[in-house]
Amino acid sequence: MDDDMMAVFRQEATDLIESLERGLLDLSDQPGDRDLINAVFRDLHTIKGSGAMFGFADMAAFVHAFESAFDLLRSGQAAVTPDIIRLALEARDEIIGFLSEQADPDGRRAAILAALEAAVGATGNAVGTAPLPEAAPTGQAHRLWFRLTGNALALGARPDLLLAELRELGATDIRADLSEVPALDALDPEVCMIGWSMDFPNGITRDAIDNVFLFNDVDLRLEAPQAAVDRVPVAASDPVPVAEPVSAPARKPSEEGPQADKGGATMRVAAERLDHLMDRVGELVIADARLLQLAQQSRDPALMAAAEEISRLAAGLRDTTMRIRMVPVRSMIGRFRRLIHGLSETIGKPVSFIVRGEETELDKTVIEQLADPIVHMLRNSVDHGLESPADRAAAGKPAEGRIMLEAEYSGAEVVIRISDDGRGLNRDRIRAKAIANGLIGADTILTESAMNALILEPGFSTAESITEISGRGVGMDVVKKTIEGLRGSIEVQSVEGRGTTFTLRLPLTLAIIEGLLVEVAGERFSIPLAAVQEIVELPADRIEEDGSSDFLDVRDRLVPLVRLRRMFSSPGAPGEFQTVVIVRAGETRAGAVVDRIIGTNQIVIKQMSRLHSGVRAFSGATILGDGTVALILDVPHLAGVGQGVEDRRGVAA
Amino acid sequence: MTNIVELKPAALMTVVTMRLGRQMLAIPASALREILDPLPVTRVPTADRSVSGVINVRGAVVPLAELRFAFGIPEEPRTDASKMLVVEVELADEPMIVAISADAVLEVTELDRATMEALPPKGSSWPHAFVQGVFRTKKGLLLLPNLSNIFASLASASGTAAA
Amino acid sequence: MTKTVLAVDDSPSIRCMVAMTLREAGYEVIEAADGKEGLEKALSHHVDAILTDQNMPNLDGLGFIRAFRQHPESKGKPIIFLSTDSADTLKQQAREAGAMGWMVKPFTQPQLLAVIKKVLG
Repeated sequence: MDDDMMAVFRQEATDLIESLERGLLDLSDQPGDRDLINAVFRDLHTIKGSGAMFGFADMAAFVHAFESAFDLLRSGQAAVTPDIIRLALEARDEIIGFLSEQADPDGRRAAILAALEAAVGATGNAVGTAPLPEAAPTGQAHRLWFRLTGNALALGARPDLLLAELRELGATDIRADLSEVPALDALDPEVCMIGWSMDFPNGITRDAIDNVFLFNDVDLRLEAPQAAVDRVPVAASDPVPVAEPVSAPARKPSEEGPQADKGGATMRVAAERLDHLMDRVGELVIADARLLQLAQQSRDPALMAAAEEISRLAAGLRDTTMRIRMVPVRSMIGRFRRLIHGLSETIGKPVSFIVRGEETELDKTVIEQLADPIVHMLRNSVDHGLESPADRAAAGKPAEGRIMLEAEYSGAEVVIRISDDGRGLNRDRIRAKAIANGLIGADTILTESAMNALILEPGFSTAESITEISGRGVGMDVVKKTIEGLRGSIEVQSVEGRGTTFTLRLPLTLAIIEGLLVEVAGERFSIPLAAVQEIVELPADRIEEDGSSDFLDVRDRLVPLVRLRRMFSSPGAPGEFQTVVIVRAGETRAGAVVDRIIGTNQIVIKQMSRLHSGVRAFSGATILGDGTVALILDVPHLAGVGQGVEDRRGVAA
Repeated sequence: MTNIVELKPAALMTVVTMRLGRQMLAIPASALREILDPLPVTRVPTADRSVSGVINVRGAVVPLAELRFAFGIPEEPRTDASKMLVVEVELADEPMIVAISADAVLEVTELDRATMEALPPKGSSWPHAFVQGVFRTKKGLLLLPNLSNIFASLASASGTAAA
Repeated sequence: MTKTVLAVDDSPSIRCMVAMTLREAGYEVIEAADGKEGLEKALSHHVDAILTDQNMPNLDGLGFIRAFRQHPESKGKPIIFLSTDSADTLKQQAREAGAMGWMVKPFTQPQLLAVIKKVLG
């Protein structure tokens, strides 16, 4: 058993334990679902089987008892109850303990099993593997006669192999018994009519013989020494069964299950290799853009056709590679459901957790970094968002609170909404807190959404009593930072008394994005297109900067202008026509003033060097079709600069 | 083989010498990845003038460092002799690729570490941390810069007043 | 000629262990993750013997054996039924479905080789 195999086993066990958890939680919502019970049973069965194979005998025994309990559910002798689910989840945790070779000094595992069995009404029935009886050869000569019966040949029996095995056991004087072989026209070639007899001069045990014929239907007689005189029995004294029809009983294979899609062959690949592949594809995309440009310059139709063909292939390869890196939201849901299940019990608030769109896929890196922020938000929702059952009753709401996680595609983004039907944000309290913390002035007037966004600010907390579960606001700034680090955004909507919704917008992938290429004083920059809301012309009378309050009225909303020429200390004066690219990061908008728009293109994001770690204006760089480098504007930074303009306006006002 | 090793004791160091203004600098061959004719430079607005641009080195975005500012050497217009030296240096224990601009690349030579001198405490405006040592050669004073220290100071301080 | 064994099991680790053991012993191994895939492979490839698990999604081991035995290609191909239960009823069912033999999990690599050697030589 080498390390590779062990690694395969551990990965498999991890997957199964995850699947088991999902199954159990699904089952708690749909206790009558037979498919779910079967799926749980199958997971347990596989864990048991491979666990035993890989030396986790204790775990296998534990899972066997666990499985036995579920067998009763499967056979309909017992019904799923919340208690069973709770105990089964505890038992599931113990499997992880077994795998990490944790001891169980308090006998917790036995207690869980006992409770589970009691809950299912099972009587403990431990498995017993019958040890093979061992008996030594007697030392006296034996004589053996045998003939394969039934459809042994069709099932794959090989008389030659059997005879070879018998020979190894010491058989001598092996003779064929052709007495039963019929005339040729009556011969069924699929039935073995030949018998064999042989001597075992040194004796042989019945067990050894049985072992040889372990897999065969056979007529056999093992005769003691005194009977050995009778060399070849003329006719078997046992009635020889009539040859059974060769074809197996017809039975339809069970219908293809709903999980057929899971049955596809999969292959595990080190994430690092995927990253390398992505890098290479990125380079290909760049080289391809370059080729396309050269081909167009050449005006050679054959070259252009070839370049376009390569372009098409490169695009296909890029999409396929990106798809390889996509992971469904489902992969983190188990953890969330478990969390809510646990929290709901701990703090005594019944919760129904509804998940929609769990098949929505995101880049692996995004999923990995998203799990913690979502856990934080869900904790907040259960702990602070939802009222106590009593308060809910008073508000005329059902006792059971509802938390919903929805994921869906929206263009090149994935939108994840986490909502609760709880009390909603208390704006008066947020306001008071923000004033106390100096986040806003006492007379500042804020829009509803700006007020909500305050809870995402560092060190903000409205919970009067911060429970041990979570402090509302504590860490929400970290959540925001993580989401923005993924080039996503977060928004809060809330209706007092009705609930709160967090909306996360995340890019599908981090490696290749659509960019808007702009020019500022002859230099080109790329702006992530997903962040671009609108492009408007800068009115002629606004070409020159307008003191401290540099705003543009866009559909009755004031957007602070960020003059890139000034920000980048670009040489020369702005031309007659300037364009404003309105970008949005979360709730904040800013209008980047550029000379002109060049177009949109696919950009492969390259990290900025550490030598540029102090440069906040750019989130990365990309290589354009002509081989030159263009910098990618950091949208949150731009929005922040815009916010600075807004703040200055506040001061000036 | 042993003879060759004996002929080239560890005290000898192979370097490429380059010129910035009127100053000669030595870049250890062990750190040098390649020497390129100047590539188009993309300016990085708001970045420190010592690392004010990036170039595309076969698909990688590499910062272009101007060592002249660290040593108070005046700027020169680009000529046919201008080159870019791509070096790999350790920064916080991680390798990093940086390109260095040179007004000219002179030669590949060997230096005996034993003849290296420390920077005189007076009479030099060069920051001591940026200099490993100097060599007196027939053609003049050859400066061996401490690239790691120079780049580390850039990494921690880059970014002039952003808007 | 190299003998080919089809290993049908939904557990990647067991498939991996079976495949590795048999390949080291000089057998060719084809893998399938459930009975449905097993049936497809058993009918589309030349196989000399089959090892199949019972509990699998889509089509379980017994179902797979029954379906396979309906095809004339199955004649003379030994099928070894792998099971975690040593219950005789299951063995009986497997035999009736058309399995030649069985192995109780857990088994060791030598045990596996002994069984394959027994049916394939």
